[in-house]
Amino acid sequence: MNVLILGGTGNLGPFVVNALEPYHTLRVTDVNPPEDTAHEFRYVDMASMTQVVEAAEGMDAIVNCSVLREHRKIAFDVNTLGSYHMMSAAVTHGIKRVINTGPHAILTGPTYDHIDFMLTEDIPPHSGVDLVGGDNPYSISKSLGQEICKVFTENYDVHVMCLLFCGLKNPEHPRFFPGRDVTPFVVSVRDAAEACRLGLNVDLKSLPSKNEVFYITTDIPHGKFSNAKAKRILGFAPKDRFEVVWHKVADN
Amino acid sequence: MNILVTGAASELAHALASHLSEDHQIRLTDIVDIKTDLEFVRCDLGHDETTNELVRGMDNIIHLAELPPDYSDDSLDSDNLTIDFLTRCTYNLLWAAVEENVKKAVYGSTLELFDKYDDDLTVNENWRPLPSTDPYVLGKHLGEFTCKEFARTSQIQITCLRYGEIVRVEDVKGQPYDPAWIEIRDLVHAFECALGEKQAGLNREWSVFHIEADAPDADYPPARRARGTIGYSPKYRFRE
Repeated sequence: MNVLILGGTGNLGPFVVNALEPYHTLRVTDVNPPEDTAHEFRYVDMASMTQVVEAAEGMDAIVNCSVLREHRKIAFDVNTLGSYHMMSAAVTHGIKRVINTGPHAILTGPTYDHIDFMLTEDIPPHSGVDLVGGDNPYSISKSLGQEICKVFTENYDVHVMCLLFCGLKNPEHPRFFPGRDVTPFVVSVRDAAEACRLGLNVDLKSLPSKNEVFYITTDIPHGKFSNAKAKRILGFAPKDRFEVVWHKVADN
Repeated sequence: MNILVTGAASELAHALASHLSEDHQIRLTDIVDIKTDLEFVRCDLGHDETTNELVRGMDNIIHLAELPPDYSDDSLDSDNLTIDFLTRCTYNLLWAAVEENVKKAVYGSTLELFDKYDDDLTVNENWRPLPSTDPYVLGKHLGEFTCKEFARTSQIQITCLRYGEIVRVEDVKGQPYDPAWIEIRDLVHAFECALGEKQAGLNREWSVFHIEADAPDADYPPARRARGTIGYSPKYRFRE
């Protein structure tokens, strides 16, 4: 399969490239070139409709790893307009499969996250307006981007799988400490990248709808978020577990 | 009351300002200059201090969320411009409003969000919007999305009015009747109702009302929620 990766040299992109390269032909794009790559690379700014549409020509699927968090103008350019460009590109070229990514706060912002448990993916999005109580439109600009994806699936023959992450950890350099607990939604970058690969494999006809959202978290006991849907539909099986974080450290 | 009206270049903003200025202090704004005898501040609704200065001291904001007619920007094509304005600029406006302690905003949306439903359905505020990917319709939907999140999480009450094609009854006389028509004077009245006191007792941070013209032959009067909740009472009829 010919796969376009948007945001291919960011935090998640290189891990997605590693996960996909044995199975697919990749066109990696970003505003920053990779130091070294065996794949076709194109400079693509998500704020440019022309660049995104041209990059999608000849592709069978799109994986969107692009994200910009803090700067208000650029965050909306990348996260909101970028989704509009990506979906326009998919429709232009007849691409049926899009994998969008983002933080779980796309769906479950503070009004869910601070209050509720047993959260599933099939709920109305409540992103809130700021991610961490400051001037930061990360969650709402990504949530608007996902809403654009949803509207396109309701108007065209295109499927979107939106994979939601939080607390992305590089298992080789985990920044957490045993016994101190963790945000109850955590996943390693390689498990997250593997979820993207699974999204490229899944039979589109098996999806409940043309717009499906998945919590991509490791198995975690807090009872707040569940990865059951990702396991059931995508076959997600996280390898990096991080149990040591939520178990008390024995006194010596 | 101090009221900020965005989209000042539009005919609706002109009509609103003319009417509301009889009882209120009006400040108009747009991203282009306009001629007016009222206070006008040109602002691109960016994320800088100028947007805070724009909303400072206001009690209410009427955000018409309309770009000036035939407006263009070399940096963005027209589709992008519409979506960018209705998302990012709405966000900037409301962010500044919350920072400056503005308590209420009214957002102008569109009934085109329901065009995909069959005409024989009793579509009202309880029906889910089905936006197309047309940039204007999609942008209005995303603007509502943005407003809802501010209303849900911030100390600002937001009322959304959805309406159709704005006309004057004398201008469409003799033309085939279009149920999407809304008389501009009835719409001004609806915005005034949304600003008014009747809704204050609702204690809701987010409210939506469909603003439709009177239809004397309808079994069920249109705009029932607006009539019953904010006192909307349309005067103009396109058919007898």
